[in-house]
Amino acid sequence: MTVVTSKVCIVGDFAVGKTSVVERFVNSQFSDKYLTTIGVKVDTKEIDLPQRGVQQKLILWDVAGTDRFGDTEFAYLRGASGYVFVADGTRPLTMGTATSLRDRAFEHYGVKPAVLLVNKHDLTGAWDVSEQRLKGLQAQFGSVFVTSAKTGAHVDDALTHLAELIVDRAIADQQ
Amino acid sequence: MSDLETLKDLLFGTEKQVLDSISERVESRELRSADVADILPEAIHASHRSGGELIKALREPVGACLQQEIRDDPQTYGDALYPVMGPAIRKYIMHALRTFTQQINEALEQSLTPKGLSWRVQAWRAGVPFGEFVVQKSLLYRVEQAYLISRENGLLVGHAQHEAARIKDSDAVSAMFTAIQDFVKESFSPDRTGRLESADMGEFTLWAVHGPHALLVCVIRGVPPRSLRADLSAILERIHFRYGDAIRTYSGDTASVPEVEEELTACLRLEARQDTGTANKGVSWPLLIILILVVGAFGYFAVTGWLQAQQIARLNAALTDTPGLYITDIYRDRQSVLVRGLRDPLAPTVSAVAAANGLSHVEIVADMQAFQSLDPTLLAQRAANRFGSPEGVSFAVEGSRLIVSGAAPVDWQEEVALAYRTLAGLDDIEFRMSPDERAEQAAAAPGVDLGQLDAIVRQLDGRAFYFASGTTLTAQSADALTAYADQLKAAAADLALLGRGLNLTATGFTDPVGAPEVNYALAQQRAEAIASALVELGWDGAIIARANPDRATDVSQVDPSLRRAIVELESVETETTQ
Repeated sequence: MTVVTSKVCIVGDFAVGKTSVVERFVNSQFSDKYLTTIGVKVDTKEIDLPQRGVQQKLILWDVAGTDRFGDTEFAYLRGASGYVFVADGTRPLTMGTATSLRDRAFEHYGVKPAVLLVNKHDLTGAWDVSEQRLKGLQAQFGSVFVTSAKTGAHVDDALTHLAELIVDRAIADQQ
Repeated sequence: MSDLETLKDLLFGTEKQVLDSISERVESRELRSADVADILPEAIHASHRSGGELIKALREPVGACLQQEIRDDPQTYGDALYPVMGPAIRKYIMHALRTFTQQINEALEQSLTPKGLSWRVQAWRAGVPFGEFVVQKSLLYRVEQAYLISRENGLLVGHAQHEAARIKDSDAVSAMFTAIQDFVKESFSPDRTGRLESADMGEFTLWAVHGPHALLVCVIRGVPPRSLRADLSAILERIHFRYGDAIRTYSGDTASVPEVEEELTACLRLEARQDTGTANKGVSWPLLIILILVVGAFGYFAVTGWLQAQQIARLNAALTDTPGLYITDIYRDRQSVLVRGLRDPLAPTVSAVAAANGLSHVEIVADMQAFQSLDPTLLAQRAANRFGSPEGVSFAVEGSRLIVSGAAPVDWQEEVALAYRTLAGLDDIEFRMSPDERAEQAAAAPGVDLGQLDAIVRQLDGRAFYFASGTTLTAQSADALTAYADQLKAAAADLALLGRGLNLTATGFTDPVGAPEVNYALAQQRAEAIASALVELGWDGAIIARANPDRATDVSQVDPSLRRAIVELESVETETTQ
């Protein structure tokens, strides 16, 4: 099986759960304690994609939360093969931020495979995303997952899907 | 077709086709280009072989073209030249470093520590300059890990590590290093051209060597020498040369950079180990012996030096205390002691002073200039030498005054009083004389000429009388004895006026012929004969007759003059006259 390494950047507004998503995905753990990420934090995760005959190793760049990219954040995004945009389902504004960040990233480095995670679905009481809004996001991002880093719901699905998108994109580029 | 055309076909059919073909090739730009392209290489070769015209023609346009291209796209040319520029620059730097190393070499020339000497031998055997060898041996390091990281996306292209090195996730390390580098560049490099080239973490050092498409990051344990960066650059250049495009477009597929790990493994061979072979060996006996010898020699020279300094100090003190010696310089010159200064001729020599102070074993080289000392002792001695020293007279000097003590004739005193100023350092004189006995005597006996009487007594003293044989005087001696007796009596009479008398001693001699006992008896008899004769002639003073106590040994010597008797006189106070 071919081993392919890819750089994936996790971006989104402050406190939407980027680091928790990565922690859940990489270590299957969750902590209620909130730790602000300064700069960037790097983790790795290997995913087997047997249908494509590829073992994908994702280098996950957990970029500090921001509502707009500065020079340093742009530098972190350089060379990324895919993006995980994260929004907070209890804060509708963070979805707008995710859209804005996606546009800026694509504008700067070109269109890349990306998924949107609308996180914190476990907070049902505070959930503030309508189906219509989700459809709108689906249209913008192509792939939208309602996730919960706390319960782990759809986190692996989202990242695996992104890995597949990246591999497919690479194959398409080669062809 | 007209008749004319038909006629042309009939007449020039083949040639016309050729002409049409040529015309078509000339008019068609594409065909012309193809023709030129076909013959251009050969034409260039031919032109180049025939002379330098082609080069002259191309020089200007090609030069302008290159200048324009480099100006427009410097990065491409920089990347293309990277594998060439690296070795060229390194060669130049190596030359500069070699010069620097030579300077270090000279600076270390004097370092003669045992380790230094050992390294010198090893450097000589290895054929490298000593300074370079010292730097190599002084820095201990080991490249434990090597990361080849894509500059584009921070992905790990390749990784190599020592078995003992612990690493969790080389991909994460690679990404994190890239992130840190991005952070540093964005934060601290205003024009974003800066590069993170090294970082220290405890005993580890991270060195990053940057290439056009990838950077080589090495984790080094210890202190790496600067030359290591050149080695790492060479490895990175080789990797770029081998995998240039694959690295530039690297997107995570390790299959696109086959065997890159082997290239990176070359980094791990860069290390400098401590020579553990000599560690914990305990005492190095040769070194210890050398150390003992050195300490012993040092101690010997220190003690010897101290003793010699003491000797010189003692000698200097003795010489300084000696009147008539003035020491200006005294020091040790190899095995001997060199003494310079002034010496009065009356003063003892330097060697004599040394011997008198128990330093006779010291070899002394004296360089003394003569001078006249004003020391009182030497002034007194000089006065004694100058004026003679009658019995009972002594000289002394106090300050610049000459003091003459004792009993001396007045005329002698007058002579001294007139001449003492000729001696340097004397400007006064004092006589401390005992009462003049002679003057008293002269006063007691006004008719007696004391000087004449002394002369007579001296003349009479030791008079010899000769014997013909046995105790019979020769006729001449018999007559002389008669006159002698008269003179003796006259002198005794004068002496008596002065309260003095004469003691006579007659000593008999024989020649060596005959038995010693007989001769001894004969000598006694001859002395007695003289004594008797003198008594008969009117001598009424004391007289002693005795035989010569010395016995002749040379019996072959027969000398008539040996048959004699000698009369000796001694002037004494009357009270002691016997």
